[in-house]
Amino acid sequence: MTKENGPMAEGPASNGYLKVGNGKYALDLRKVNVHYGSTHAIKDVSMRIRENAATAFIGPSGCGKSTLLRCLNRMNDEIVGCKTTGTIMFKGTNILSNKVDPVALRHTVGMVFQKPNPFPTSIYKNITFGPKVHGIRGKDELDEIVERTLKDSALWEEVKDRLDDPAMSLSGGQQQRLCIARALAVEPDIILMDEPCSALDPIATSKIEDLITELKERYTVVIVTHNMQQAARVSDFTGFMFLGRLVEFGRTTPLFEKPRKTLTEKYITGRFG
Amino acid sequence: MEGFRFKRSFRPLERTIELMLLLAASVAIIVSIAIIYTLMDGTVAFFSAPDVNIFEFLFGTKWVPSGSDPSFGILPLLSGTILIAGGALLIAMPLGIGAAIYLSEFASPRVRGILKPIIEVLAGIPSIVYGFFALLVISPIFRDLFGASYFNAASAIVVLAIMILPIVVSISDDAMKAVPRNLREASYAMGATKWETATKVVLPSASSGVIASVLLGLGRAIGETMVVTLAAGRVANLTFNPTEEVQTMTAYIAQVATGDIPPGVAVDAAFAVGMVLFIMTYIINIFAGIVVDRIKAGKRMKRTGLTGGLVKVIGAPGRVLSKINIGAGLKKGAGSLRRRYRIGIFGISMTGSSLVIAIGFLAYLVHYILTQGLSGIDQAFLSEIPHYIPDKAGIYPVILGSVYLMLLTLVISVPIGVGAAIYLTEIAPDSRHTRFLRRIIQNLAGVPSIVFGLVGLTIFVRLFDFGISLLAGSMTLSIMVLPIIVVSTEEALKAVPKSFRDAALALGATRWTTIRHHVLPNAIPGIMTGSILAMSRAIGETAPILFIGSVFAKVPPSGIMDPFLALPLTIFYWTTHPKAEFHELAASTIIVLLVILLTMNSVAIVIRNRVQAKRDW
Repeated sequence: MTKENGPMAEGPASNGYLKVGNGKYALDLRKVNVHYGSTHAIKDVSMRIRENAATAFIGPSGCGKSTLLRCLNRMNDEIVGCKTTGTIMFKGTNILSNKVDPVALRHTVGMVFQKPNPFPTSIYKNITFGPKVHGIRGKDELDEIVERTLKDSALWEEVKDRLDDPAMSLSGGQQQRLCIARALAVEPDIILMDEPCSALDPIATSKIEDLITELKERYTVVIVTHNMQQAARVSDFTGFMFLGRLVEFGRTTPLFEKPRKTLTEKYITGRFG
Repeated sequence: MEGFRFKRSFRPLERTIELMLLLAASVAIIVSIAIIYTLMDGTVAFFSAPDVNIFEFLFGTKWVPSGSDPSFGILPLLSGTILIAGGALLIAMPLGIGAAIYLSEFASPRVRGILKPIIEVLAGIPSIVYGFFALLVISPIFRDLFGASYFNAASAIVVLAIMILPIVVSISDDAMKAVPRNLREASYAMGATKWETATKVVLPSASSGVIASVLLGLGRAIGETMVVTLAAGRVANLTFNPTEEVQTMTAYIAQVATGDIPPGVAVDAAFAVGMVLFIMTYIINIFAGIVVDRIKAGKRMKRTGLTGGLVKVIGAPGRVLSKINIGAGLKKGAGSLRRRYRIGIFGISMTGSSLVIAIGFLAYLVHYILTQGLSGIDQAFLSEIPHYIPDKAGIYPVILGSVYLMLLTLVISVPIGVGAAIYLTEIAPDSRHTRFLRRIIQNLAGVPSIVFGLVGLTIFVRLFDFGISLLAGSMTLSIMVLPIIVVSTEEALKAVPKSFRDAALALGATRWTTIRHHVLPNAIPGIMTGSILAMSRAIGETAPILFIGSVFAKVPPSGIMDPFLALPLTIFYWTTHPKAEFHELAASTIIVLLVILLTMNSVAIVIRNRVQAKRDW
């Protein structure tokens, strides 16, 4: 890869690390650029994201990591004046193409937000909203989805007897796990997480982190975090972003232990940011 | 290579709904065009009459619409308008700004919680009630004290000042409340007293909001019809003497509506006058809009960028304080400190007393109406029809007429207004044409209600050939209350957290599904509150339906094409009746109208409080 294409999550197969995921790529980003009005938020980012692995984006506030994440399910389309160029290949399709329907894309690429954002309805209805939108109506089927996703998000035991309670009555950590269950209910291939623990206490955070480790067995997880320890704990690959550029991208352990760029080193050793 | 995925689906339902919402938003443009068409059409007819020319219209000093030698010089109407609106503003400005200073800077939260709603009650009283009070209570005072004529400008000025007071108070108060705390603290830290801080730091910092409040109050005063029609008189006098009878532009249009003017060129003249009135209020409202927009833009600027924000916040007190020479007062030493405190106490009591004046006015108005009208309300009054013998008169068909009028207005205006608001906030936020639409809607809110009367007459009664019917009346009121519904719905929609929308969209919901399931349900209480307030405006309005309501409707309308009579119109006819017994009937009718309004507003407040208590986001 040439320099202009930016760093790639590549290394010789003989680099000595364990094989992660199934070796395939879920997403292939090429020269992605994002402009908000006159702000150039993402500059020429190219990277390949592995299937069934957890990839983390780290970097100081305002570096563009959340914006990059929101490209992956076209949530930036909802922001007025936001323009994205480049290509992001997913299952043989450039999802940035005009012909792609973001609504259809989001069936396959789910998202969990920074602050838990359950709908102000019951726990049950929070989860069934997605499947219902996609045409699932049968009560049995919906019940099954609710149970399965709540189990997958490690919330089932805590809420199984009060599924009709308002979602807002749950604790912050429980709300966030409900949001994860809600995202799982539409059966996505990829789950995007935008600083999913930043509004949670350490115990809740640890539960979510365990969950991410489990989820990546079956899903491709992309997580944005400003917490480097968290990136180190949960991710297989890490991309360090600064001022809209992807400075360095690679397997998590070597990136933290032996960063190739001085900028990365400065950031992870806490000398700026 | 796999095939192309995530193909765009057509979703005809979604497209249709978005198109309908766009249409709803475009109604504002259609209404604006209808206003301009109406006024142009009548104005052209007026100027094409043989003995009318534009020079005489603009500079003539005689306005004599009927008689053997009619003359159409608008200057007397302009002077009447300026005398009354200017006079009202001269009273309302110091009172209103004083009251706002007191509310924002000196009132304890508890006192504020009592006083502010009372000021808001003043804004909710229909103008016909103020007109009744001006003619029967305030006018006699000026007659007795200053030998004023039966109709006089002074009584209209005083009452109009109280009417526009809530506008000045609430917008100035909001502006002063928005002044950042650190400015006040910087001033205290320099040894300024509370009064000095309020008048020399807070007030100047909030000056654009205060200016906007005064401009909006002026626009309202110029456009007000019923008070001036009832109290100021029907003779266009080129005078600035407040004890004399004068006619304003709005009052002339109302005179045409009530049939005192022979058909022909004198009626067309109302449209030319309406054009001048429309242009004047439009310019004032555009200025007010620019000032308000500038305040909003200023706030946004302060929020963007941490560093920029910090510089501004730190710099601002210094900049304001450097302009204001607080230090000068400090140099004089301890002796003058006592003086400065005394000035403060005097100032605070003055600003507080402006609130006392407003509350005293309200209390006397309510007391007068109750003593005049309460005894007249009995079973017969509520079940009989209007009659020329006062003892036999009742308002049964009038109550029903007003209720039907309001319900039909609700059915027409709420779907359009809510649709327009959804389009503006959810479908096309912040695009250029949305901003244009929003500006158009804001300006519609400032159009004098009597101009809507002209539009109703030209478009609904004549062009659509609805005649003087319930339908024509409701449509006229609908276009008038449309901006209220749009603005309150927009606020309700904006209050729904963005995170709900994000969550639904991220789950693959379409835009309409997101709105339908997660935005609208959470905004419904706000929309309901706004709609009820809009309907209470509709049921209390007189001027727009002066042309359309029918004195001869002695039975309740049984269909939408039937003629109708409404409560405010009945109050108007009875207030202008020469026999005093009818004035008491007018007071009784006012009580009925106020009870209906009070009920509607209570329902709105209950909805708001219930939801706020239940809301968990």
